[in-house]
Amino acid sequence: MAAVNSYAETPQERYQGNTPAAAPPSKQPLPAAKSVDTQSVLKRLQSELMSLMMSGDPGISAFPEEDNIFCWKGTITGSKDTVFEGTEYKLSLSFPNDYPFKPPKVKFETACFHPNVDIYGNICLDILQDKWSSAYDVRTILLSIQSLLGEPNTSSPLNTQAAQLWSNQEEYRKMVEKLYKPPTA
Amino acid sequence: MVSDSIANASAANSAPNARDFAKKKRANRSAKLKQCKLDARREQWLSQVKNKGSGEDSRGESRQRSGGGHQSLENLETRRRRDDENGSVHQDSDSESPSVSPIGLTGVLSGNHSSGNCTGSSSSCSSGSSTGCFSGSTTEEEEGGDDGCLDDWEAVADALAADEEPQNPPFDPPPEGETVGGVQSRGEHGKQSVVPDNSRSECVKRPPRTASANNQAWRPDDAFRPQSLPNLSKQYSFPNTNRHYGGGAIPWGCSKAISVPSSCPICFEDLDKTDSSFLPCLCGFRLCLFCHKRILEEDGRCPGCRKPYEHECSEAEPSLLEGSLTFRLTRSHSMITRA
Repeated sequence: MAAVNSYAETPQERYQGNTPAAAPPSKQPLPAAKSVDTQSVLKRLQSELMSLMMSGDPGISAFPEEDNIFCWKGTITGSKDTVFEGTEYKLSLSFPNDYPFKPPKVKFETACFHPNVDIYGNICLDILQDKWSSAYDVRTILLSIQSLLGEPNTSSPLNTQAAQLWSNQEEYRKMVEKLYKPPTA
Repeated sequence: MVSDSIANASAANSAPNARDFAKKKRANRSAKLKQCKLDARREQWLSQVKNKGSGEDSRGESRQRSGGGHQSLENLETRRRRDDENGSVHQDSDSESPSVSPIGLTGVLSGNHSSGNCTGSSSSCSSGSSTGCFSGSTTEEEEGGDDGCLDDWEAVADALAADEEPQNPPFDPPPEGETVGGVQSRGEHGKQSVVPDNSRSECVKRPPRTASANNQAWRPDDAFRPQSLPNLSKQYSFPNTNRHYGGGAIPWGCSKAISVPSSCPICFEDLDKTDSSFLPCLCGFRLCLFCHKRILEEDGRCPGCRKPYEHECSEAEPSLLEGSLTFRLTRSHSMITRA
């Protein structure tokens, strides 16, 4: 936790460096409450990490990046009996300073052929946007994404090709295998 | 004493055949009443010493208390009237002793009733009622001044009325309505002549309530303590916790033990007592006040069910809410009658 604590002082910069686009809006409205916010976010994230490691959910895991507890790397594995079975995907989660009142930004780092994931790894998932609740945490996010893999919402796809192919599960499985590049780390 | 003679006369007037009975009663009760009087006097004295200039209360009380030989008749009379009107005194000319009268009413109630179904309402009755009056007002005053004595009263009241508490405030209005007729007829009568008649009619009316009032000698004082203005906040807490909702406090504690998480699910800070009793949403999702405030500032939806927070149910536990509501009603009632 030494690294974590050292980041308590400058999470803003780290955070900004990692996701420059998202930082300004969350930063500017509350300049005075910054340190308080940071402290409470830290506490929350540390607690989440603890409970996530204790829970031992199969198929999901997450851990803060080496130097920034506001940026996590997560992995999910494709559930059994889905076309994603046997695959593993890496995701990045970056938490805003007003987390958990605002959702984290979650992206696939590993290319994922899925109707609701675009080629940049952006995910279209309601709970990461307007259906976000501060009661959600990393664990529920990862579980939601895991279940999203097997149950895509093909009516509003980010990847139209995947959405069209979804009806043909055999072909889809072949496509997943063809495009799948196991995460290196 | 004048009061004695009057009371006797009234007894003779109103119910000759009950006189013997009343006499017997009197003998029985005299010791008890003496004790009561002594207590009341002591309380009076204490309270007087403690808060000399405590405004209305002491004024009203001292006015009553000053009754020597010639005033005792008037005192008795006013007491009777209070007796008769049963709480609606304030509408009458008696408004100079506003703070005393509601209590006087209850004190009278208990005093009268404790003397049994005395049709004659003899001197024991009147003195009993006077004791009720005084002790009532003194209790009230003392609450403003000091807790030391108050605790005793509370303990007594608690012990006496633990099970019947909740019923008391609601009982307040009905008697008033019941005796409205008496009030009106009163206005027509002269001051002195009324005593026997009214006391008789009252005694006829009251027996049904006697039982409940009998074992609550001091309780009405407690229930009406809100009358003393200076102690608003303090009294406010009483009915909520021990008095009217003495029973309600237990479920509250239980629910806390059962369903309240030890830390806020949003910020993971420990929930303190206030947070634990804070149930902002009907879905039962609990969180600390800070996070709740934060959420209200932003999208204002409950994290547990995503429904917008409703402000009316974000105040407190239902039981507490009811408590304060009832209490407020009682208060406003007394305020209105006083004015």
